[in-house]
Amino acid sequence: MAINNDKEFKGALACMNPSQLRLAAAGFVDSVLPLSTDERIVAAVKVARQEKASETELEMQLRSVKAAALASYTQCGKLCDWNSQAGHFVAKAAVRCVEPLTDGGAQSVWEGAMDARMARTCEVIATGEGTENNEAQVQYRIVESLLNS
Amino acid sequence: MSATMEKGVRVLKEVIDSRIASYFSSCVHCGICADACLFYTETGDPKYTPINKLEPLCRVYEQEYTLLGKLGKLIGWSKAVTDAELAEWQELVYNSCTLCGRCSVVCPVGNDIVYMVRKLREGMSASGNAPDGLKGAVTRTVTIGSPMGIKLPAVKAQIKHVEADYGLKVPLDMEGADYLVMLSSMEIINFPEYLGAIGKIMHSVGKTWTLSSEAFEATNAGMQIGNSDLARVIVSRIVEAAEKLKAKTVISPECGHAYTALRWEGANLIGRPFTFKVQHIIEVLGEFQAQGLLKTEGMETDKLTFHDPCQLARRGGVIKQQRVLMNMVAKNFVEMPDAGFMNWCCGGGGGASAIEEGEELRLKAFAVKIRQFDAVKPDRLVTACANCRIVLEEGLEHYEMKLPVIGLTELVAEHLPEPK
Repeated sequence: MAINNDKEFKGALACMNPSQLRLAAAGFVDSVLPLSTDERIVAAVKVARQEKASETELEMQLRSVKAAALASYTQCGKLCDWNSQAGHFVAKAAVRCVEPLTDGGAQSVWEGAMDARMARTCEVIATGEGTENNEAQVQYRIVESLLNS
Repeated sequence: MSATMEKGVRVLKEVIDSRIASYFSSCVHCGICADACLFYTETGDPKYTPINKLEPLCRVYEQEYTLLGKLGKLIGWSKAVTDAELAEWQELVYNSCTLCGRCSVVCPVGNDIVYMVRKLREGMSASGNAPDGLKGAVTRTVTIGSPMGIKLPAVKAQIKHVEADYGLKVPLDMEGADYLVMLSSMEIINFPEYLGAIGKIMHSVGKTWTLSSEAFEATNAGMQIGNSDLARVIVSRIVEAAEKLKAKTVISPECGHAYTALRWEGANLIGRPFTFKVQHIIEVLGEFQAQGLLKTEGMETDKLTFHDPCQLARRGGVIKQQRVLMNMVAKNFVEMPDAGFMNWCCGGGGGASAIEEGEELRLKAFAVKIRQFDAVKPDRLVTACANCRIVLEEGLEHYEMKLPVIGLTELVAEHLPEPK
């Protein structure tokens, strides 16, 4: 299966089972992990990748990455550091990989993908060069490989 | 007396107009305003009584404009305001006042205490006694054009992200559009989904809209710190862009003081009427609904409640529209006690959330919000202010209450029928 655009990407997510979705969400975070320095995110991704992770473990990680996302917000009136803000969106994406997958979970994982892309957008803004990034293509390949495995 | 202090006192004398004079002379010292202020109710400390926060301004008023005050000053009964006093008052005038306006609306003699606090802030700011967090925001507004340092390339990158995410075009500098959409720094940085939601809604109702590359954000740091000149510059920038693009309506973002500055004080600040209408996004959505343009499908089934941003509901009088919108998309919408006109502030408005040294007090005052939530036990909390949203999330985290916070504009956009 080849994914070439977001419509196909969304369609592919809708076809995935919950464990594939969680792995996809973890993959999206992994791809932008260098943009964060928060160890809590690494731990959350590790748990999300474990097929036998218990609900309690996931819940603990969820709390932890939610706290990480909250702590990395740029508050109103503060100078925005786009590199730190990239870290914030990585944490937001990490929330998606450990939260309960309700209503099939595809929408939640899609939003995680968007957060990961936002992290990359923040990185681009921080460098001050252009507006392009290829995170979407990276995500297409992650989902393709999960579906083809 | 230092030069900045001298300037501050001079500004305080200048800002005392007929309204301030009548407010001070009619205050009956009843203390009712205390029970309206979350910083007083949650600490029990009388220093947070709103009228007490105005003590330096009151003293200048009495010493300069009343016979007894002048006599008192002459014979040494009444001491002149000092630099040290103003520095001490910073906590009361900035950290513990969100300009939420609850005190103003309970005052039995009709004193607009918020108006007075803002005038006092002018003197505080001129004497160098504003908090560093706000000073930084003001400096960035002057040098970069944005309190949080947002430049056009960042907005363009966000536009690109939103276009890809939502599969829609975000117009920039389009002449003659129905709506010129303003953003707050917070929406650009933290909530790009707000821009996506606007695009979806405008597409759905068939209205044209645009952003401006010359004035994309409306956050008004001048209003927050107490600097009318700066507030005027920020509003003028928006007015120039709106007139250049011949926009019919300018939409204020989900930012309380941006709305107040533009909608209620903008024309007075620039000294002439606007050639366009100004509306908050919630007013615009309410209008689309009333005109039958806004069609939604499906309903949220969990229990939702709404936090009214102070500048929108209490100071701006927009109360009905958000409830109509909530009922369009939520089957189980419940109201908290004191919701609507008398809603309790999140504790971070009026620049308070930018003041680091005020965080502990802010979190203490948040207990009042917890009581509101506890009364109805909602599954999710909806609001219409990017700053409220973050302050609410921080408070909820501090009190370990699991309550997701979402934006109303985004919620409405989620319920639009899929485009054919």
